[in-house]
Amino acid sequence: MSRWLLLLGASAATLVLGVLVGPSGLDVASVLSGVLGTAEPSTVTIVRDLRLPRVLLAFLVGGSLGVTGAALQALVRNPLADPYLLGLSGGAGLGAVAAIALRVSFAWAIPLAALVGALAAVMLVYRLALVAGAGLDARVLLLGGVVVGAFAASVMGAIMAVAPAPEVRNALLWLLGSFGRASWPAVTLFAVYAIIPLAVVYRLARPLDLLTLGEEPAEFLGADLVRTRRTLYVAASLLTAVAVALSGLIGFVGLIVPHAARFAWSRLHQALLPATFLLGGSLMVLADAAARTAFAPLELPVGVVTALIGVPVFVVMIRRWAT
Amino acid sequence: MFVRSAVALVAAGALLACDAGEGTPRPDRSGRPIGVERPVRRIVSLSPPLTELLFQIGAGERVVGRTHWGTQPPEAADVPSIGDGLDPNLETILARAPELVVLYHTPANASTIERLRAVGVPTLSVPMDQLEHVSEAARLLGEVLGGLPRADSLADAYDRDLAALRTGAPALPDTLAILMLAWDAPPIVIGGGSFLSEIVRLAGARNVFADISAPSATVSLESIAARDPDLLLIIGETEPAVLDRPEWRAIPAVRDRRLVSVQGTAYAWPSPRSLDVVRALADTFRGVTR
Amino acid sequence: MIDARGVSYRYPGAELPAVRDVTLGLSLGESLAVVGPNGSGKTTLLRLLLGVLQPGSGRITVDGRPLALWTRSELARVIGVVAQREDQLFPLEVQEAVLFGRYPHLGVLGVPSARDRRAVRRALERCDVAHLVGRRVSTLSGGEWQRVRVARALAQEPRVLVLDEATTNLDVRHEMEVFELVADLIRDEGLGAIVVTHHVNLAARFADRIAVLDCGRVRTLGVPSEVLRADVLHEVFGWPVAMTSWRGIPQFLPLRREEADHTERGAATAPKSHE
Repeated sequence: MSRWLLLLGASAATLVLGVLVGPSGLDVASVLSGVLGTAEPSTVTIVRDLRLPRVLLAFLVGGSLGVTGAALQALVRNPLADPYLLGLSGGAGLGAVAAIALRVSFAWAIPLAALVGALAAVMLVYRLALVAGAGLDARVLLLGGVVVGAFAASVMGAIMAVAPAPEVRNALLWLLGSFGRASWPAVTLFAVYAIIPLAVVYRLARPLDLLTLGEEPAEFLGADLVRTRRTLYVAASLLTAVAVALSGLIGFVGLIVPHAARFAWSRLHQALLPATFLLGGSLMVLADAAARTAFAPLELPVGVVTALIGVPVFVVMIRRWAT
Repeated sequence: MFVRSAVALVAAGALLACDAGEGTPRPDRSGRPIGVERPVRRIVSLSPPLTELLFQIGAGERVVGRTHWGTQPPEAADVPSIGDGLDPNLETILARAPELVVLYHTPANASTIERLRAVGVPTLSVPMDQLEHVSEAARLLGEVLGGLPRADSLADAYDRDLAALRTGAPALPDTLAILMLAWDAPPIVIGGGSFLSEIVRLAGARNVFADISAPSATVSLESIAARDPDLLLIIGETEPAVLDRPEWRAIPAVRDRRLVSVQGTAYAWPSPRSLDVVRALADTFRGVTR
Repeated sequence: MIDARGVSYRYPGAELPAVRDVTLGLSLGESLAVVGPNGSGKTTLLRLLLGVLQPGSGRITVDGRPLALWTRSELARVIGVVAQREDQLFPLEVQEAVLFGRYPHLGVLGVPSARDRRAVRRALERCDVAHLVGRRVSTLSGGEWQRVRVARALAQEPRVLVLDEATTNLDVRHEMEVFELVADLIRDEGLGAIVVTHHVNLAARFADRIAVLDCGRVRTLGVPSEVLRADVLHEVFGWPVAMTSWRGIPQFLPLRREEADHTERGAATAPKSHE
């Protein structure tokens, strides 16, 4: 119990840190009065309308990516699985590029297009996997994800080469992961939306444990493979697709955090999933804080920072694992 | 478009250390490029600003190939396109039988220059980043083309007017604070390293991100909010819809709709028209109430 | 407890059925051994009995109810399976592995109760692996890991144990330990057991009944002392054998080529029988 309190405390601390830190160089007192609304309007705006939603969104997305990564690693029985493996990244990119090329322009055009693209890719992979049988064979899912992702990426490249709009090239920048698009509506939307997929995945904690043993042992211990896989697939895809739509592609969190959590916390998913959520969220908040402060006023793509953090962590973990 | 090429380069994030200018035919003291024998009659231009300049110095009929985006001035559209300027298709270039290929001076073009040299085509690499490069480039091209009086007169007039604008530029404090936005998601702003930054200064205003030495950079919304620009100069789009998004409303200038959109290649690269841009912007700024 | 009637199954795309018209049953408190050469349909039959495959024809019931109506959870509360091999995706400790046996009894979000922990402890002790608690499964020997998996099946508190070639990779001692353990469980807890094995002789000595499969059919089914005969085994396994007996249980000896010529006429040269 005390372990959890510690983890929750640490997560809260990173949230606070994320709000305190930023490129406009506000000191602690200013930030606090900004939160309370007693500072001058520009400070209040910065703290309340820009920093707070951004930090919250980073936490929610980081946590969701961690949970999805953990679940998918069990689903496809592959420790290298990450949330984007089901063709999501290619699909989102294609959607965004297509929207820009077609000059679709309303405020949420690109995120919506990315969402549609991501979901279309996921459905395509699902359909492909069904060809091999209703069981959603893990290997077929993996391969299908790679294939659909590659296909989407190549169509995207073709569009970029021939589209009349030079801005199309900039669609790629959008994909480079950023929480700069955070706002209170976005945070609320994601928070409300994410509850169901997260709850669905959590309910499957036990079958996920069993899946790590292998398909037949899992079945003999009571797991309903087909239903588990299908449900997990849908929940993970929906969750990741919206995360991508709101914040682009951010690597490493969904891949590394589950392993770190398994290593340091628990391998059983009932504890692993919540721990992964908190760890992933915290990591993302820290990475985002670094991304917007390290070279202020310039902003790094968050994915760059998560990779910089993630790779050494990964190396340490592998060395411990090997011994 | 020029700005966006620069943006693409920034996004690629790799800066080659080599100097692309090495070994390309540069004019010697007498003004004739090494490697090019006689006045050049067939030029392929791989850079839209250079295409435009060639027409303006009276060498338009000698341009036999241009890039896909090099349609300025309108007459240039009649010249056959050889495709993309960055990493071009050599075949289409050679099909135009050029005696010289002119390119924008950047490390990214190093390999193109190598490839052209390998098939025996002389190249000329011309810087075109700042306002002063316009007249330098005009004179250079004029010499390479065997001496074009229009090139020299254009360059002289340009230098005169630019000097006048530079000495006449008002002192900075309390001038209009301008944010130049090239792209919205992520926010890409024009930095001090761009010719646009000087244009804004000459027009009597101040680029809020002039402290960034690069021509453009990705910044966080918070930085923009903290610098609180008086006016947003949006380059290339009519009021991008993203400005309706909630997070952009944290910027007072967006909230109050203090936006001006500018389009056109005059904002994409330095050219003789840049001085007209300065004057036009000066008028706009004067008309803005803070 | 488990009853199969006229069950057949053909893999999609296969020419011949893997299992043909098999009828057999298992009652509680008895052990049924299933033997046969490679490709005789043992694994397929097992998969059918466990509901992993659906029979093309025939009926299977468990505890009187058609197998198709059982959910996987329900089945897992009644049948515990120990397979030949298993590889885990992530490191696993012994007690975690055995705890998985309680999962069929836990609700969706259920937390293991005192009862569950008791069942785990009991299973660990019964299978003599309690001293391995805390060890990583990957550090165990083959025999130890096998016994842990039997403990896991036991933790399910099943009525039937199914062993699918569970001792094929074990040495003599560990194999005997597993067989003895299963025999004890049948005797003490009244479990039923289906044991698929290559080891015909052991099966004959431990099992109450033995089924010999050949090309998907049940060649013979019954009490070992009655149904294990040289001609049957010769036909099924395609190798000449001689029969001997140990305490009344037939044991077979595959013959060497030179021996086979001498004993061509039906095991007449009496191999010594041991009492």
